[in-house]
Amino acid sequence: MIEWLHPGFIYIFGALLIPFLKGKWQKAYLLLLPILAFIDLQYMSTGVFWRIPFLDYELVFGRVDKLSLVFAYIFVIASFCMTIYALHVNRSGEHVAAFLYVGSTLGVVFSGDLFTLSIFCEIMAIASMFLIGFRGTKAAYQAGLRYIMVHLLAGACLLGGIIMYVQATGSIAFNVIGLNNFGSYFILTGFLINAAVPPLHAWLADAYPEATITGAVFLTAFTTKSAIYVLIRGFPGVEILIWLGAIMAVYGVIFAVLENDIRRLLAYHIISQVGYMVCGVGIGTMMALDGAAAHAFCHILYKALLFMGAGAIIEVTGRSKFTELGGLYKYMPITFWLYMIGAFSISGFPLFNGFVSKTMIVESAAVVHMPIIWLLLEGASIGTFLHTGLKVPYLAWFSRKEPACEAREPPKNMLVAMGITAFLCTLLGVYPQILYRMLPYPVEYAPYAAGHVIGMSQLLLFTFVGFWLLRGMLHGTPTITLDTDWFYRIGTKKFIWFCQKPLMTFANSVNNGVMKIASSFVWFSRNPTAATNIMVNSVAFVVLRPFNPVYKRYAQNIDELKKTYPGEPVQRVAVGTGVLLTLVFLAFYLTIYLIYA
Amino acid sequence: MGKMEMKHLFWILYVCLFVSVVVEVLIHLSPHFHSHAAFVWQEIPGFSAVYGFVGCILIIVVSKTLGHHWLQKEEDYYEKH
Repeated sequence: MIEWLHPGFIYIFGALLIPFLKGKWQKAYLLLLPILAFIDLQYMSTGVFWRIPFLDYELVFGRVDKLSLVFAYIFVIASFCMTIYALHVNRSGEHVAAFLYVGSTLGVVFSGDLFTLSIFCEIMAIASMFLIGFRGTKAAYQAGLRYIMVHLLAGACLLGGIIMYVQATGSIAFNVIGLNNFGSYFILTGFLINAAVPPLHAWLADAYPEATITGAVFLTAFTTKSAIYVLIRGFPGVEILIWLGAIMAVYGVIFAVLENDIRRLLAYHIISQVGYMVCGVGIGTMMALDGAAAHAFCHILYKALLFMGAGAIIEVTGRSKFTELGGLYKYMPITFWLYMIGAFSISGFPLFNGFVSKTMIVESAAVVHMPIIWLLLEGASIGTFLHTGLKVPYLAWFSRKEPACEAREPPKNMLVAMGITAFLCTLLGVYPQILYRMLPYPVEYAPYAAGHVIGMSQLLLFTFVGFWLLRGMLHGTPTITLDTDWFYRIGTKKFIWFCQKPLMTFANSVNNGVMKIASSFVWFSRNPTAATNIMVNSVAFVVLRPFNPVYKRYAQNIDELKKTYPGEPVQRVAVGTGVLLTLVFLAFYLTIYLIYA
Repeated sequence: MGKMEMKHLFWILYVCLFVSVVVEVLIHLSPHFHSHAAFVWQEIPGFSAVYGFVGCILIIVVSKTLGHHWLQKEEDYYEKH
């Protein structure tokens, strides 16, 4: 009997069989793997499993506690819904990449030491890159390349940090890391990149909207939320995260206003929502950490649902820009209502799952009495509803009297996936105890206190009033928005230009200068006395030039000397001159010797 | 959605707007009311409504201004530069 089976390995090794199965068998097999993983989780008890000695250390593949379980559950459940959404895709490679991605994320969640953690992070980055590249467009290829470059940088930060950390502490165990030594700053930076914390966030809004329709749904869940898991475990109560998180929540909202691409707008809202979680980790009280875990749980569901809705539009219309969409309600009412459940959830409407988790983080900011943080987080809620709940549906499904293009409901499997996800969003909203029981710390929190419900309802309803007044300003414009990726997209181009033009010009001039000096030495050494003669004559020529009659003689002399140069290899001088020179040098040496000896 | 449906939805919305503020005022007036407020402004009935409205307008105006004067560029910006 096996003591413990790693659910991540079900995905990773299961993925290897996918290309060999065809048609219905492949579809059935794809659904079977998440179900197996779910059953595996059901029978799992807490503890530490799969310790493997490695050099002088011990690798731990299976550290199971409440925190890792709550993340593992949501990753498995989400992957099941997403797999249904992707069932109509025939390209096996895409499924393999997705399953490797999910499997490695579970590897991160259960890893009990830093080496295992960093290895699974690398697999995650590479597998997810394929989900972008499979789109097949030039833009997707380039975005995928930028994506992997950023994540390799994150991986390098992480590995470098881990090595320094292990040097300093002598242990590779992955527990609370904190900010105690230099290495831990690097580890934190690695995961701040993965969590898309500004200014290290641009990869997310750059790459996700270019991914395949089904791949993007997978991407929304795993990278950023596994980073949140690591932050909860490794960096609880690190104060800078409070501010980074709150700023991040508002940052995403502000950029979302400007977006014309439906999935890019939603991608900015991932950044915004992850901001709440980062902030919760920074606050670091039990309630805040629970809130961060709960919000990650809920966020994965509703964000997947939103991306599924946006993906459905792109699938049937081939369009993703607001300027080219509108009036689709006539053709896609079911997609619209399912999308709206996701929109109500992310906005935190009472009875939907965002409400039961987001308010936990906001409330914990109130408990530790941080007024500015509280206002920023509430303000981000306004923006969230404004875009995902109002702007997107208005511009995509309404806003035009006649539909912008032909459309229909998406394939059945997509609708079923959206239906299940929407059901889970509402279930958790109506009956949050299911979620609260899974959370790592025991916390008494009543989301449906009258104050919360009324406050949130007022906030969101009056957001609608503001939206309706200014809806004319929210129409999409055919533009793109500059973000911090400008620094590496334009910055690298400028850097290469700098290398090719000014730097190369400088290098060439240095090179030419050195070569000139070298060649003049060569010229001189061919016949030093004749060369000296020429030089002396040249100087005399210049000096005597004002005294007209004499200088011509020098000019002739120089011309002659140059013509015959190098001439006789050595110009003979009288023996006496040689002896004299020797004596002079000896005297010079003697003087130096007498002075310093 | 038909025009009638839209009208109904808007009526529901108006009612919700009204009810949410009135209920809060009533709760604040009730003799059993104990404030759990962590911040001063949570004591003011209707604060969330005002914050929601003002916040919404601020977000739109601030980010549109930022975008218009600085961040928004033509779609082939990265190919051109």
